[in-house]
Amino acid sequence: MLKFLKKVGDYAGEAVQAAKYIGQGLSVTFDHMQRRPVTVQYPYEKLIPSERYRGRIHFEYDKCIACEVCVRVCPINLPVVDYDFNKATKKKELKSYSIDFGVCIFCGNCVEFCPTNCLSMTEEYELASYDRHDLNFDSVALGRMPYKVTDDPMVTPLRELAYLPKGEMDPHGVPDGERRAGRRPEEILEELEGAQPHS
Amino acid sequence: MTSGIDLQGSFIRALIDLGLSPGVAKAIWIPLPLLLMLIGATIGVLVVVWLERKISAAAQQRVGPEFAGPLGTLQPVADGVKLLFKEDIIPASTDPWLFTIGPALVVIPVFLSYLIVPFGQNLNITNLGLGIFLWIALSSIAPIGLLMSGYSSNNKYSLLGGLRAAAQSISYEIPLALAVLAVVMMSNSLSTVDIVNQQTGYGILGWNLWRQPLGFLIFWIAALAECERLPFDLPEAEEELVAGYQTEYAGMRFALFYLGSYVNLTLSALLVAVLYLGGWEFPISIDWLTGLAGLDPATPWLQIITAALGILTVLFKTYLLVFLAVLLRWTVPRVRIDQLLDLGWKFLLPVALANLLLTAGLKITFPAFFGG
Amino acid sequence: MNLGEGVQLVSFGLLTALMLGSALGVVLAQSVVYSAFLLGLTFTGMAGLYLLLNADFVAAAQILVYVGAVNVLILFGVMLVNKQMAFEKVPGLALRQATTGLVCAGLFGLLTTVALTTPWMLSTTTPAGDGAIVAIAQHLFSDFLLPFEVASVLLLMALIGAIVLARRDLLMDNSATGLSDDLELKLPERPKASLSSGGEP
Repeated sequence: MLKFLKKVGDYAGEAVQAAKYIGQGLSVTFDHMQRRPVTVQYPYEKLIPSERYRGRIHFEYDKCIACEVCVRVCPINLPVVDYDFNKATKKKELKSYSIDFGVCIFCGNCVEFCPTNCLSMTEEYELASYDRHDLNFDSVALGRMPYKVTDDPMVTPLRELAYLPKGEMDPHGVPDGERRAGRRPEEILEELEGAQPHS
Repeated sequence: MTSGIDLQGSFIRALIDLGLSPGVAKAIWIPLPLLLMLIGATIGVLVVVWLERKISAAAQQRVGPEFAGPLGTLQPVADGVKLLFKEDIIPASTDPWLFTIGPALVVIPVFLSYLIVPFGQNLNITNLGLGIFLWIALSSIAPIGLLMSGYSSNNKYSLLGGLRAAAQSISYEIPLALAVLAVVMMSNSLSTVDIVNQQTGYGILGWNLWRQPLGFLIFWIAALAECERLPFDLPEAEEELVAGYQTEYAGMRFALFYLGSYVNLTLSALLVAVLYLGGWEFPISIDWLTGLAGLDPATPWLQIITAALGILTVLFKTYLLVFLAVLLRWTVPRVRIDQLLDLGWKFLLPVALANLLLTAGLKITFPAFFGG
Repeated sequence: MNLGEGVQLVSFGLLTALMLGSALGVVLAQSVVYSAFLLGLTFTGMAGLYLLLNADFVAAAQILVYVGAVNVLILFGVMLVNKQMAFEKVPGLALRQATTGLVCAGLFGLLTTVALTTPWMLSTTTPAGDGAIVAIAQHLFSDFLLPFEVASVLLLMALIGAIVLARRDLLMDNSATGLSDDLELKLPERPKASLSSGGEP
């Protein structure tokens, strides 16, 4: 009898505990209701990508020396480099260069290792297309200037949370010139160089 | 106890004064409250759908519907119109008759159950002596509709969803009925009006919530399960059963399921308000207040204010419960089918029986507090 | 005839037609599922007849028990049986059906004559209406107590019997002995005979 009562008591205790946890969960959900909505009304408003954003890769045809470092550092050897070896000048002459963004994972290794900096990351991320082969960008497509949110007259650019002025939570209506919270990288650099005399 | 305003009596009297026979006058009156309730329930659904979307958005730090009408209030209308204009598809090798009747069978009992929802002493369609039992009986029809649509869809997910939905409805009907029974035992009547009247007089202190806390919890959990709201929505789980019995439905037939589920949610919230939260009783007893102010409760303007306040109180309580249901939706994860049946049969059923026994014992011991 | 009586007459006619039609459908429908659904319709029509007799509690109970429970269980049974079985050609089907029809018609005629020739006594007591619940409860707890309890015991027996039939006792400790015969990923079942003997502790 006592054993049975203990069982019932344990069961009731567990039920109460479960109810308590559900109550805690409810309070968390309730708390979320007064938080700032993070919604960006996308086609009309767009977030400004951060400086280190890894978007579509930009390629400068004239700088490329066809060294194929980008192919070697790429996890899947994605860039296609086509060149002729000019025997007279003993130099490679680039014929075409292409990257398939349907396969690229935007890891940025090629940009990191390119000896002549002919590859660079852009802030362009709208790469949707009706055919996946359209994503195979040749050197001309790779050389196009990237789309910029701030240049589009149809779009209200919004700053991300970390780029808002101090105390500001809502990106709407923040003036363009307003400084963001905290120190800028160049200021940190300056301060570091000031504290540490050039050796 | 004041009888409140008697719309029916005055309407029929006015028609008789116009020279109509009493029979005709009554016949003209009969469809009016039905129509009003039908429209009210449908508009209630629009409000609930809007609330659900807005509250869900807020709980997930989104904005929610914004562009259709002020604050997106016309979004449910837009949804409805969209569903109305969609192509009416009956998939190949389904059973067209059962496929069509199924959704209707799910929706009709829910709308019929509004017969017994009171908004005031005389502000209901009928004060049936059968009352709450009618709702229990009617809500037991819905599983047939679910089985019908699940079977006729010619789709294994639909069949599984239909079977699950029917099993769930049957399992949770029993604790629901037992919780209702405990309330009925205290008020000595099945009629919803009597149940509310038994709670009036002491403001918030008189509500059944304090006398039946366990019953309230059981009823609310079982009602959520009956409505297939989120912790218990596994019959129409999108991720597991590709929306269960709704898989093959589109257009107006799907809209019927959609409408039915939200009407059912509103109905359950209304009935919780009636059974446990004092119905149209304001948290501070109006009778007591008027007595304090020295007013006659039969004053016409006071009666109108009381009636309006009563309707608003019922609606406020209902939407508060709907809010709780939406909040629960984004808090509690979906249960598995075995957990669902475990909860129904091994937890709610014994607890409901114990609650019934406890209520009976308390009723005999303290007849003054638990209804003589 | 006033409005109420007219409505009553028309509803009686409609309900009778509905019940007769659906009951015939239950018997004659080729598909078992149709039969089951039509049975629900018949039960609903019967509830409507109870309503016309001012017995609204009985009507609601009819809906709850027969439509909501019995019929749903029948549907469950029909839908959970997943055996595809084509009906075999029965030799002399027409003759068998004709004989069945004849017997049924004879029975129907017999019952009709009984119903028509019996001098029915119309009850003069007014219907209980809303007080019916109290009256039913008093009967159930006084002079009909024994049938009521016997019925509940019967249901309990059916319940336990169903559990005994459907229950499978799985021997869980097989993994310790060896996995060689575990190819089908099934736990061996305890034989049913030992369960039914009742000698086991």
